[in-house]
Formats: sequence, structure tokens, C-alpha cells
Amino acid sequence: MFDWRLILDAIGILIYALVVGFIFMGIERKAMARIQRRIGPPIYQPIIDTLKLLGKKESVSHGFIYNFGPVFALGVSITALLFIPIANFQLFSSNADLIVVAYLLEVPMLGIMLGAMSSGNPYSALGVQRGLLTMVAMQLPYGLAIIALVQHWGTFKLSQLVALQQLQGWSITVPALALAFIVFDIVFQALLGLEPFDIITAPAEISMGPMVEYGGKHAALLFTQHAVQLFAETAFFAVLFFGGASNLLDLFLKQLLVLFIAIFVASIYPRFTIDQAAKFFWKWPTIIGIIAVLLTV
Amino acid sequence: MAERKDFGENDGVIHYELQEFKLFEPLFKWARKKSLWIVAFCTGCGGIEMPPLATARYDFERFGIMPNPAPRMGDLFLITGYVTPKTLKRIIITYEMMQDPKYLLAHGSCPINGGVYWDSYNVVKQLDKYIPIDVAIAGCMPRPEAVMDGIMEIMRKIERGEADGWKRYRENYEYYRRNQDKLFGEGWREKEAKRWLAWI
Ligand code: SF4
Repeated sequence: MFDWRLILDAIGILIYALVVGFIFMGIERKAMARIQRRIGPPIYQPIIDTLKLLGKKESVSHGFIYNFGPVFALGVSITALLFIPIANFQLFSSNADLIVVAYLLEVPMLGIMLGAMSSGNPYSALGVQRGLLTMVAMQLPYGLAIIALVQHWGTFKLSQLVALQQLQGWSITVPALALAFIVFDIVFQALLGLEPFDIITAPAEISMGPMVEYGGKHAALLFTQHAVQLFAETAFFAVLFFGGASNLLDLFLKQLLVLFIAIFVASIYPRFTIDQAAKFFWKWPTIIGIIAVLLTV
Repeated sequence: MAERKDFGENDGVIHYELQEFKLFEPLFKWARKKSLWIVAFCTGCGGIEMPPLATARYDFERFGIMPNPAPRMGDLFLITGYVTPKTLKRIIITYEMMQDPKYLLAHGSCPINGGVYWDSYNVVKQLDKYIPIDVAIAGCMPRPEAVMDGIMEIMRKIERGEADGWKRYRENYEYYRRNQDKLFGEGWREKEAKRWLAWI
């Protein structure tokens, strides 16, 4: 009793998400380069990088958990993607898929950390420690932004959220939810691992953090995971605050908008240290988030 | 760092070319050429030539080159100047941590023949004896244009399949190992590893 059309749709969405995710990564690098007045790499550069990593003739492994980490992360990202309504297509749907997606989007980080910890590299351990602390710090504003959304629209269902927004205007046009949007955007920066909160990978300090031991095919898997994750996160953002999308082009434009906000913020801010980041998260975004929740009651 | 047993065998290379990937080899060659990740390991005077290369004036990112701090992911190892024995230990360890295929670019006259330090007691005169060099750039210090040219040469060599330093290292491991042991004394790897064990 296979529904072939559904399966083909799912595979199509996956391939589309992968390609567009890679292009987004390329756009990210290109836009940063243009902001710094450089020419920058071609937009398809991440695809070349992944190919090269796949073509490495050697992949050092540190045991089963180390191999399992990236696979787990990729699997979770794909699952999260299939829960998000992408242009009328949603494979899985439940009554509370908003919460499911919100937390599935954070789990891949745990997968990477699981693998990183088993490599035994001190830099990995440091990166994991920072990553977990960032995750703990950003839970509170993240949760508040989502609570504000749910209280306003009165539903946990993503597809219903999209339908309601198409009837009554995007979330961002509601004043209280505009505050939630600001909070969510700050958290989004940390979710993507971009500049003010790129404490986890911090290339100049702890040399890529959790990723330091990954190379070759493992790193290629992580790159793929990052592409899918980027697509899923931007789509989730677009669904929550920009009224979802009825076709792929619409979705693509909204995702680009979200991505460019992130890139512009990332390219002008330096990195927080971990204590500053935690303090920041528990101060301004939390205060704004509480105001947003109170306004929507 | 864990000892690698497979390095000792001289026949590693022939078995090593994964047969099933032969079909995609041209594609991978193109990808390798287009995406060289630099291991950010700056020794000697040449580290200062890297910022102009990376910034707006010369911008090596347009060729897909990216400075990458993690040796496991890196492809291109830049030796940017003179090498002392103490640095050489780190260089060898980093080079062995990198995953095949890997390329090594030596800057300036110091790694080639000692340069101005030709009579110094603690500068390694001929780097080629300890690790294989793919491309060497002459000059003291080479200008960013020269470095760019060296990188282009590496790309050309990758395309032609001549950048085979990593293969030579596997094939002639005994030779390189003997030279390294002569300089540092037997068992220097274990000694070095023991010092870091407490941190792992
Ligand atoms: S070649 Fe000249 S510039 Fe380069 S490391 Fe030697 S002395 Fe310094």
C-alpha cells in the first residue's frame, strides 16, 4: 500500500532542499565577500567543497559513535524538513508539529556533539561545552517567541498557522508578534551559528570547535547536513512569520529575505564570548519576549 | 595522536587507489583543484603575507581557497618561511593528520636551502628531506603575486595529476622517517604524544 506519488514528492523535496541549501551556503559566502569588497567564491562553491570532501581518499574514524554523529544529525535535519509545510507539501503532520519542528531543529547540534565528544580532541570538548551552554541560553527567548506565536494564533499546527496567516495577514504585521519576530531573529542567528553567536565553531579561537576532528567523508556528511538544516530553518522562519508560501518561488524569496537579514547582521558584528552571549540571551531577548507574551495574552 | 600502522608498508599506494571511484576521478580532480582549503599554520616571516592574500586586494577565495583551522579538513599546507626543529615536529604531526590527498607549498628560500639562515645551527636547511614538497616558491619573501602563482601551479599540477607529494610520502615513508628520527632521535613521536596525553 505504497503511495508512490507521496514518496516521489518527498524525494523531490529532499533534492530541492539539498540543492537550494547548498546555494544558500554559497550565497552566504558570496554576500559576505561582497560586503568586505572582495569578489568571493562562485555561488556553487559549497557543492564543489562537498564533492572534494567526498573524493578524499582517506577518512579517519574514531569509532562507532563518531561515525554515528553526522548520520544522526543528517537524519534529524531531514525529519525536521519533512514536518515543515513547504508549498502545500507536508509529509508528516501532527497536532503539535510546531513544537516538534522547533526542537528537531536543535537536535542535529546534539548529534554533531555526540560524535565530536567521542573523538577525544580537547578543542572538540571545548566546542561542545560552548555549544551546550549556547543552547541552554537560547532556549528561554526561543520558547518565549514561540509561546507568543501560539497564544496569538491559538494553534500548534503549522499548516493551520499558514492558513490563518493567509486569511488575516502575516504574523509580522501584528505588533506583539513583531516583537516576537525580533526575539526569534536573534535566536535564529545562534541557530545558524552565525556571527555574534558563532562561539561554537569560533575558527580563530578553538579551530572549528566540534568539527575539528571531522574530515573527509564525515565532513562531507556534515556539509550536506548543514545545507538541509539551513533550508529547513529558513523555511521554518518563513512559515512562522512570513505567512508560509503557496509555491516554491514564493518560499524561495521569503527564505532569501530571512537569510539576508542573518548575513547582514553576521557581517557587521564581532563574536561574543560565551559568558557575554549567555548574559545577552537572558537579558534583552528575554525581556522583549516576555513583553510579547504579555501583549498576546 | 594515534600511531598509524599502515604507513610502514610500502605497498600502501597501489591498494590505496579506490577502484570503485575511478569513474568519478575526473570530477573529483576538478573539485580538488577548485576547493583548496589552507591549513592555517604560519611559520617564519611568510605568515604576514597571508592577510593581503585573503583580503580585498588579492582575494584568494574567488578560487575557492579558504583558510581552515582544522588540519583534518585541510588540503593545502603552507610552510610560510624558515622551519626550526621545534616547528618541524609540529609540521610533521600536522601533515600526517591531514587526509589524503594533501598538498604542500613551501614559501621562500628558507625551506628550500636555508636562505639567509644557511649557517644557522637551529634552522632546518632542506625541508624536502623530512616531508615531501609539491611546489616551492623562491624569494625572500615572495610577494602575494608569487604566492598566488605558486597556488596556481599547484592547481595545474592537480589537474595533471602530478601533485603527488602524499603518494611519495607513503611510498618513501622509511626514508622520511629515517631522516626525521636522525634529527629528533628515536621515539620522538611517543615522547611528544605523552606530553599532550594529560589534556586528552
Ligand atoms: S625566505 Fe626570507 S622571508 Fe622567508 S622565512 Fe626565510 S628569511 Fe624569512
